[in-house]
Amino acid sequence: MNTPKQASTAQPQLPAGSVSGTLKTVLIIALLAYIVLNWNAFIGIFVNVLLWIYALLGHGKDAFGWTIVLFTILIRLATWPLNAQQLKSAQAMQELQNDKEWLDIQKKYAKDREKLAQEQMRIYSERGVSPFASCLPMLIQLPLWFALIQALNRTLAVTPLAMLELARSVYAWPQKFLPSLSVSSIVPLNSQFLWMDLGRPEFTQILGFSVPILVVLVGITSFFQIRLSTPPSPNPNDQSAQMSKSMSFTMPIMMIMMASAYSSGFSLYLLVSNILAIIQAMLQGKADWRNLLPGSSKKPTTPVKK
Amino acid sequence: MNIKKISLILLLTLGAFALSACSGGRTAVTTWPGLTADAERAYLTTGSYIYAVDLKTGKEVWHYPESADGKHVYFATPVLANGQLLIGSEGTNNAFVSLNPETGKESWAEPFLGAKSKWIASPLVLNDKIYAPNTDGFVYILDMDGKPVADPIEVGGALWSAPVAEGNLIYIASLDHHLHILDATTNQISATVDVGGAIPSSPLIAEGGVYVGSFTSNVEFISATGGQSVLAGATNWVWGTPVLDGATLYYADLNGNVYSFDVLAKKQNWSEVTPDGPIVASPLVAGDQIYVASEAGAFFALDQDAKIVWEKEVDADSPKDTIYTTPVATGDLILVAPYKAKFLLTAYDADGKQAWTFVPEK
Repeated sequence: MNTPKQASTAQPQLPAGSVSGTLKTVLIIALLAYIVLNWNAFIGIFVNVLLWIYALLGHGKDAFGWTIVLFTILIRLATWPLNAQQLKSAQAMQELQNDKEWLDIQKKYAKDREKLAQEQMRIYSERGVSPFASCLPMLIQLPLWFALIQALNRTLAVTPLAMLELARSVYAWPQKFLPSLSVSSIVPLNSQFLWMDLGRPEFTQILGFSVPILVVLVGITSFFQIRLSTPPSPNPNDQSAQMSKSMSFTMPIMMIMMASAYSSGFSLYLLVSNILAIIQAMLQGKADWRNLLPGSSKKPTTPVKK
Repeated sequence: MNIKKISLILLLTLGAFALSACSGGRTAVTTWPGLTADAERAYLTTGSYIYAVDLKTGKEVWHYPESADGKHVYFATPVLANGQLLIGSEGTNNAFVSLNPETGKESWAEPFLGAKSKWIASPLVLNDKIYAPNTDGFVYILDMDGKPVADPIEVGGALWSAPVAEGNLIYIASLDHHLHILDATTNQISATVDVGGAIPSSPLIAEGGVYVGSFTSNVEFISATGGQSVLAGATNWVWGTPVLDGATLYYADLNGNVYSFDVLAKKQNWSEVTPDGPIVASPLVAGDQIYVASEAGAFFALDQDAKIVWEKEVDADSPKDTIYTTPVATGDLILVAPYKAKFLLTAYDADGKQAWTFVPEK
């Protein structure tokens, strides 16, 4: 852990790490703006990748479900560095809450919020910690979710207008090099996967009740993913600990709402994405299974490997 | 900005996302109008309503239902047969109804509710029986009172187009790439032909078989016994039903090309005539002109040598208007139903003079 440095009365200078972090933030925001301005083309990329995977998988029974699984793996691989950064930043932010200098300024400037904010920014800068870093991957996820929902509707094309949109989205050039990618021979796609129709919300009859099994799994894995990768705070009453605790419940609820509102194809994406996020946290040594135990948030645990 | 504020913004964004999901993710309904006509009225389906429009005045005669609800969503084109107007709904209960064409009142004691999925295809009436294809892959067979008279026939794939009949043979096109030939005397499938691509529109009856356009970008002839031969090609998917005028077959593709093919000589008369944008609707032959409607919202009259006789921007005030619905000829009028225009229906004469436009009464 970094040792506290002498407080400076001058305006804090941003270290090199923060400058590159800011640049990264600007680049990501510019990328998001570009995507929004070219939204239809962005969905078209998703549609074509889904169709190619589906064609390469032989477009048989269950093929579209496996297409979504493979597509999710590709997305997680593409966003791996961002997600890795998020895990590191969450860890760093949590460790900062235990830092003596951090605790000292909370007490010292408890009644001067402006000064407290200045001091917090100074410490962020000195430690190379960005409070935005843990949020950026989430901002990246949002357009991916929007695009995927529309891409799934367009790819499954259950209405004439959706079929027309699909026809407009298809790239003709890959079929010239690889005839097996011919879209006309695979449309319409088979939306059946296991017990689900991936174009519709999923419900399974259990003892006379319609149970959305996939939605429940999305909620559970979302809860696990957040709890596993969020280190507990030594002080359950501090702001960060309360936020973490709140997020570990509100995020799964949000996930459940989205999964139940959209098709089971999107729910499958969320489920696989949550599982892959847990695997990534484990591979980076950021998953602490003790966080799942009741009352774990009240006990400080040994910091996990950075 | 501290982390609390950032988290709050994120949660609010996610919340808005989730709320928008609740309002529009599952039940968003968008489709182009369905259109048919008799000598007195045009019958137009659009969204939640079916309208009867007086052909002389362009005014509404009736609409069904009284008020919109989730049960009434019409993707199909209504069919006039035996004094009934028949149509299935894409709405929540998959109802198939019969209306009195003069009054718009329901003809049957109750709608047919036996289908498992929504209705996009129009039905066929043959020998006082209704053959109604559904997107669940079944053809339902009803009497003219809406009662099932035989077990539904499983064809497979989503069925989007009306069957056509020649004698007792019924030709049923499916999105599963197959054309199915049903013997109406036995209710058995007598032949199934794989054309290699989805067939979104009805086949065209010809002597000894049918012409079929498909997503293979070909037009094929399929005989009554299931024999198959590719007649002509296109540069993109052929969505609309080809039309036959004497020995000349007209068809169009999604690249916007219109083709004329001589079925006797088996050669293209002309091709790659591209009036204006992708073409989904079938061409219409009336008198000595061929009428073509494009996705760009334009309506063309061509002569038999591919010369454009006249062209109309159907709704010049609506930049997003398109035409996907096949025009209908009735009496001296050509009816055109644009999508996303300021009016639902308009009528032209053969010289391209607009007779009226129809806007529903509020």
